[in-house]
Amino acid sequence: MTRIGATELQELIAALAARVGAERDRLNRLDAALGDGDHGTSISTAFEVAVIDIAALDEPSLSAIWLATAKALMNRMGGASGAIFGIFFLRGASLLRERDSLDKAEMAALLAAGLAGVKARGKAQVGDKTMVDALEPAVTAFARADDFSAAWSAAAEAARAGAESTRDLVARQGRAKFLGERAIGYIDPGAMTVALMFAAVHEWWRLTRHQ
Amino acid sequence: MTVRLHKLINRPEDLVDEMLQGFCAAYADIARCGDNRLVMRARPKARGKVGLVMGSGSGHEPAMLGWVGEGLFDVVVAGEVFAAPGPENMLAGIRAADRGGGVLVCVSHHAGDLLNAELALELCELEGIDNVEMVLLYDDISSAPKGREAERRGTAGLFFVWKLLGAYCEGDVSLAAAKALAEKVRDNTRSLAVSLSSCASPVTGQAMFEMGADEMEIGMGLHGEKGLGRQKALSADETIDLMLPPLLEDLPYRAGDEVLVLLNNSGSLTLMELFILYRHAAARLAEAGIDVYRCWIGPYATSFEMAGFALALCRVDAQLKALWDAPANGAYMKQL
Repeated sequence: MTRIGATELQELIAALAARVGAERDRLNRLDAALGDGDHGTSISTAFEVAVIDIAALDEPSLSAIWLATAKALMNRMGGASGAIFGIFFLRGASLLRERDSLDKAEMAALLAAGLAGVKARGKAQVGDKTMVDALEPAVTAFARADDFSAAWSAAAEAARAGAESTRDLVARQGRAKFLGERAIGYIDPGAMTVALMFAAVHEWWRLTRHQ
Repeated sequence: MTVRLHKLINRPEDLVDEMLQGFCAAYADIARCGDNRLVMRARPKARGKVGLVMGSGSGHEPAMLGWVGEGLFDVVVAGEVFAAPGPENMLAGIRAADRGGGVLVCVSHHAGDLLNAELALELCELEGIDNVEMVLLYDDISSAPKGREAERRGTAGLFFVWKLLGAYCEGDVSLAAAKALAEKVRDNTRSLAVSLSSCASPVTGQAMFEMGADEMEIGMGLHGEKGLGRQKALSADETIDLMLPPLLEDLPYRAGDEVLVLLNNSGSLTLMELFILYRHAAARLAEAGIDVYRCWIGPYATSFEMAGFALALCRVDAQLKALWDAPANGAYMKQL
C-alpha cells in the first residue's frame, strides 16, 4: 500500500472516531483539571457526527471527507477546540480537491497545511501547552520518514512525547492560560487528543495495511 | 464546599435545545427560536437598521437569551455549554440579523468566541455578504494588566454594552457608528468578580473545579479561570473594600464622574447578600465623589450554581445616559 484513497481516508476518520470515543472519560478527566471537563464528550460526539456525515456523502471524495470532518468539529463541538481542530481539517481540504489518492509525500503536505492553519489561527507555538505541542512534532516526524509505515509510527511516537511534554508547561493560549501555574502537572487535553488520533491511525495502518 | 451535582435535566446531549425550546415557549411575545440554535426577536426591527448578533456559549443564562428583544439584540446564537457556537451557526445568525443596514458581530473576548466569529466572517466573505463588522469587547481587569486591555476577558460588565448599543441601533445609525459606540462603552467599563464556590457541569455531572469551604477568589472568570489568587472568605464590606479600589484606579473613575453600576449574581448568591454588598459599594462610591446614575442588581451572566458576583462600572455622559433610559424589552432586561 503506497497510496491512500477515499476508502482508506474514510477508514482513517472512523479509526480516529473510535479511539477518541473509547478514551472519552479519560479526556474529560484531563480537561477537568484545565477546563470545563467536557472535552472528551464534545470531541467524541463531533467525530461520531463526522463518521455519520461521511457515510451519507453522495460522492465521498478525499476533499469531501476532510471537509465533512472539519464541519462536524467546528459546528458540533464549537468553542476554541472545535474551531482549532476543525481548521486542521479545513485547511487541508483545499489541497485534496481533484485528487483521488495520496502518496506519502502528499499526505505529509496535507498534515503540514493543517498544522500551518492551526498555528496561524490559534496563534500558538510549541511550548504554549496546546495541541500544537503534539501536532507539530508529529507532522515533522511524519515528513522525515521514508514510507507510510515508518511515518505513521514515528508520528504516533512524536505526538505521544509531545503531549507528555505539556505536563510541565504553563499555558500561554486558550482558556487554561488564565490558570497560570495551576496548569502545571496536567497534560493538555487537546495535545492528548492529537496523540490519540495519531496512535489510532498508526494502529489502523499496522493492522490493515502493513501485511 | 460541596456542589450540587444532580441537575434537573433530561439527556445531557439535549439540554441546549430543550432549554431554547422552553425559553422561546415562555417568551413567545419577545423571542422565537430558529434553526442553528438561533434566538431571534419575535418582531424584527425595521429594515435599514444595523443588526446586532452575538454568539454565546450556554450555561450563563439569562445571558444572552434574555437580551434578545427590542432595544437589545436582534439575534443570539447559542453554543454548547461554555463553548461558543461554530462558524456556520454564526453565519446563520448574521444572515438572520441582516436588516439591510449592516450587521455588527459582538464578541465577548474568549478564545473560542473570537475564533468562531473570525471564521464566520471568512464565510461571509466567501459568500459575498459584505457590510459585516466585528467588535471585540472586554472588561475584566483581573485577566490582564492595565495597558494590555485588549487581552482582557469579556465578562459581566459587557451588560452595559448590550443595553446601550442595543438602544443606539434602534436609531438610524451607520454600522461604523454602531461599532464606535460599542467601543466607547467598552472603554468606559471595568469589572471585577469574586467567587466563593465551584459549579457543576450538566454535561459531565462533575464539579468544574475544586474550592475550599472557607475560600474565595477575586477575579475568577465565568469558567473558573484563575483570578488574583485564593484567599480566606471575607465579610461583605471587606470584600467590596478589596474589589472597588483596583476597579476605580484602572480606568480611572474620578470624583465628578457619573456611572452605571452592575452587581451581577454569578449563580447562587442571595439578593439579601447583593443588597448588603451594594449598600457598602454605594457608600464607598459616594465617598469617592462618584455619582451613581442607575444601578442594576441581579442575575445577568451566571455560571450555574457558582456562588459569587461581579461588580462592574460604566462611566456615562449625556449620550450614554439617554441610551440607558431608552426602552428595552428582552425577557430579562426591561426598561420602560
